[in-house]
Amino acid sequence: MFGEDDLVKAHKQRADVIGNIILTCFSLLLARLWFLQIYKGEEFYKYSLENRLRKEVLEASRGLMFSRDNEILVYNVPRFDVIVTPQYLKNKIETIEKLSDILDMPVASIEAILKKNRSQASYRPVTIKKNISRQEVAIIETENAKIPGISVTTVISREYTDGSTGAHLLGYISEISQQQLPQLKKRDNFDYRLGDTIGQSGLEEKLDLELRGEDGYEFMEVDARGRKRRVINSELFTGIEMKSAQAGNNVRLTIDRDVQMAAVKGLEGKVGAAVAISTETGEILAMVSTPAFHPSLFSLGLTRDFWNSLVTDPDKPLLDRAIQSHYSPGSTFKTITLIAALESGVIDENFEVNCNGKFPMGSRPFHCWKKHGHGRVGVHKSIVESCDVFFYKIATKLDIDVLAKYSKLLGFGSKSEIFLPREISGLIPSKEWKKKRFGSEWHMGETLSCVIGQSYVNVTPLQLAMSYAAIANGGHLFRPYVYKEVFSNDGQIKKKTNPELIRETGISQKTLDIVRKALNGAVNEPHGTAFAQKGHGIHMAGKTGTSQVVSFSADKIFNRCEDKEYQFRHHGLFAGFAPYENPKIAVAVIVEHGCHGSSAAGPVAREMITSYMKKYQPELYQAILLKEDGGKGSLMKTIIEGEDQGGGNE
Amino acid sequence: MNKSIFLEFIKRYDFSFFGTVLAIFFIGIINLYSATHSTINPVTDDLYQTQMVWFCISMGVGVAISFLQPKTIFQSAYFFYILNVMLLILTLVIGKNVMGATRWIALGPFSIQPSEFMKISTVLAVGRWFYKFNPEKELGLYDLIFPFLFVLIPAGLVIVQPDLGTGLLMILIFFVMAFYRKLMWKSIAIIAVASLVCGGFAYKYGLKDYQRKRIINFLDPGADAKGSGYNAIQSKIAIGSGQIVGKGFKKSSQASLNYLPENHTDFIFSVYNEEHGFLGAVFLIILYLILIFRFIWLASSVNKFYDSLVSIGIMSIFFWHVFINMSMVTGLLPIVGIPLPLMSYGGSNLLTFGICCGVATSISNARNLFQ
Repeated sequence: MFGEDDLVKAHKQRADVIGNIILTCFSLLLARLWFLQIYKGEEFYKYSLENRLRKEVLEASRGLMFSRDNEILVYNVPRFDVIVTPQYLKNKIETIEKLSDILDMPVASIEAILKKNRSQASYRPVTIKKNISRQEVAIIETENAKIPGISVTTVISREYTDGSTGAHLLGYISEISQQQLPQLKKRDNFDYRLGDTIGQSGLEEKLDLELRGEDGYEFMEVDARGRKRRVINSELFTGIEMKSAQAGNNVRLTIDRDVQMAAVKGLEGKVGAAVAISTETGEILAMVSTPAFHPSLFSLGLTRDFWNSLVTDPDKPLLDRAIQSHYSPGSTFKTITLIAALESGVIDENFEVNCNGKFPMGSRPFHCWKKHGHGRVGVHKSIVESCDVFFYKIATKLDIDVLAKYSKLLGFGSKSEIFLPREISGLIPSKEWKKKRFGSEWHMGETLSCVIGQSYVNVTPLQLAMSYAAIANGGHLFRPYVYKEVFSNDGQIKKKTNPELIRETGISQKTLDIVRKALNGAVNEPHGTAFAQKGHGIHMAGKTGTSQVVSFSADKIFNRCEDKEYQFRHHGLFAGFAPYENPKIAVAVIVEHGCHGSSAAGPVAREMITSYMKKYQPELYQAILLKEDGGKGSLMKTIIEGEDQGGGNE
Repeated sequence: MNKSIFLEFIKRYDFSFFGTVLAIFFIGIINLYSATHSTINPVTDDLYQTQMVWFCISMGVGVAISFLQPKTIFQSAYFFYILNVMLLILTLVIGKNVMGATRWIALGPFSIQPSEFMKISTVLAVGRWFYKFNPEKELGLYDLIFPFLFVLIPAGLVIVQPDLGTGLLMILIFFVMAFYRKLMWKSIAIIAVASLVCGGFAYKYGLKDYQRKRIINFLDPGADAKGSGYNAIQSKIAIGSGQIVGKGFKKSSQASLNYLPENHTDFIFSVYNEEHGFLGAVFLIILYLILIFRFIWLASSVNKFYDSLVSIGIMSIFFWHVFINMSMVTGLLPIVGIPLPLMSYGGSNLLTFGICCGVATSISNARNLFQ
């Protein structure tokens, strides 16, 4: 065998080469150390004494948000914060006392804040109080020399043109909390720091990366008391440069401010939600949830009390009811049931039922909302007058899975994937679902409740609006979207949303015509449940709904809803579209505990549609007015009445 | 044990490795105490104690390994390699995420960093392959493909953690071993040119500015994510201000004001330089050089070629750590997060160097003890 000794020896030459390379490397390193420590040592020593080099962050201005017709909805305003830089504090106790005087803030709480930030580097400023008044700014600036270490910084804060209007959709920004920090770092792969602001809900959250821009930085020379002298410009520091901040991109929403305002006005003082969607594109024209909150307060620096008041409010103002909450759709769902029944062939357009107010099923009778019944009810009348018994009869023929199939076709039971956070999917029950959820078989009695939109059926207001838009436009289900484009300050389009079809529902035009005609009747025929909400110049079609919050025993069913305790009152719903002949806009409204669909939710929808028609279809609006008037001369009167037209119909 | 045998053993036991390591660690622990106690940050107060505990564990493990026969180490090389690769995969699955990187596995009160041990495991495995593969033949490019996989697999697993520095370090260690194993000069030239050209082109033309930054940010988010260059500048100020003799123990103003980031891990050499100056740095570098050349000398004096290869591998682990760390804090190389052996805070790192010294001592002793 070849001696291993020889093998090792044969490699000795390579070992020597390695040794020489290593010596060369370390010589290089020593030369470098000599350069830094001896040749430039003194210069660096001076720098280290005062540490005159400081990095200043240049805050990028956040992108603005505009409505579809270019009205500004969200913009930036400066806010002033008091900061303390511990490194520069000269006489700590005295300075803090002085500061406590100026700010009218107890010494103990200032000390507590400083103590909390004790572990961070002493050159890092600590924010003592946010959003101080201009007067306080003036005092601090003039006393500056006497209180070294204390200064005022300008922070960009967010302002919302219409206050709380559309707060859920627009969202808010606030500082990253300790708990959020690790998750956000992982999510965005970005080195966030405690105290950085970030979009926390709505579009501020979803478009955060677009809106926030990129912070810049520059290097400053500071004196021993922390005051800026000049931007550093030493040959020692070639290689580090300043970087200017890059403003965030702006967003143009699909929201129309007037329609949005009409919704807010209609829902004022009520708990509910309203959604308006373009039937031709899926653009969201308005999306409102009440009660709302003031998003600007978050960016002005959130106090614990303010946060607690929002979180503990029983009306949950932070909840976006349009997409994060679901409801039994009540009779607004009858439209979907009718489509399923006609399309699957379990009934035809001549199907009739005799309604005497009751429908026997198992041990208990199911009641129609009209105590003594509707008499003979056909397909058209079933929607116009919202006869329950008609649908109970359908329920005995219609398999729940068939209803589920058509509901899902129309967008129920799954998320619309609208570009907003934390959307929920609602619920459309099926046999399989029940088996999985409860481990038991489906009962026909449950179908009876489901066909009139009660029991397990749960939908979000957005889904309701989407499905009515699809019914209106001939069966095309569009993906709803809230922003048209993201554009930079120089007008360059960075991102664009185009209309996207979720699916062709494939529902026959014949069925859709029958259903649309019936929806038209519900609003425009004297016996229609929503006749009171007919309005002027809009030619709206739609369906009312009342959703039971709790079930009552038979003797209580016909008690007046308004006599019940608030939390037991029914939810009122309305879903519809307009104009009937050539639909442009679909709307869904829910008013929690509003008792009736027609009187509670109907007017909100009517006003939203009216403001849309006036603004976007003025000629059609006039033409319809003229037609309604039939040349009787009341047209002038209606136009003069202007704003509150239609109000008298309630 | 018989007294005379014990004395004989002591006489023949090679203390040079552990001796040098102890000397460097002694400087290191004093420096670590200074770096963590001149700050106002109470969080780091007890780090030096943890470091001492880890050092004792590391020395214990190292001494235990030194009693093994090199043959045993040779035989178990692949076993430990595979075990360690599995640990790396496990890290990605159940690892602890700190600052955006998944490098640690929690083990009771401690957490370990399998990528550290991977360095020595790879050296042992690659050494075994080189040794078995026709040891008289010079290596060409094709001969490198298979052994390169030995290092590419763990390096890839480390890079996705993400820890680019450690991954590249493994590849560098591999090439030192391949060079020693007589990689043909022609092949070396091809590899050097190819990597320079590819790397240069990719960085310069293949990427846009923001992409480059994003990639750096992705690969090592713990490094300077906000504003490049700041850390390096502060480190240069610290080193430069030490001048010839330094400011003295616990007098590092840069560290005390927390200007210096990570002053107990990657930037420990800056604190040392500020306090002990150029002369202190020269002294420390000489100690490292003694250790490194002790390994090279060992490689040429053993009579088993495998032992020789492993010595060179261990030497290169030390060398690359020391050289890269010192270069990055003095601004010669970009900041990639490589610790300084025996000086930087970190348990797994200490343990790895303990194991390395144990293996080297075992190899050295084998010449005298087990013949």
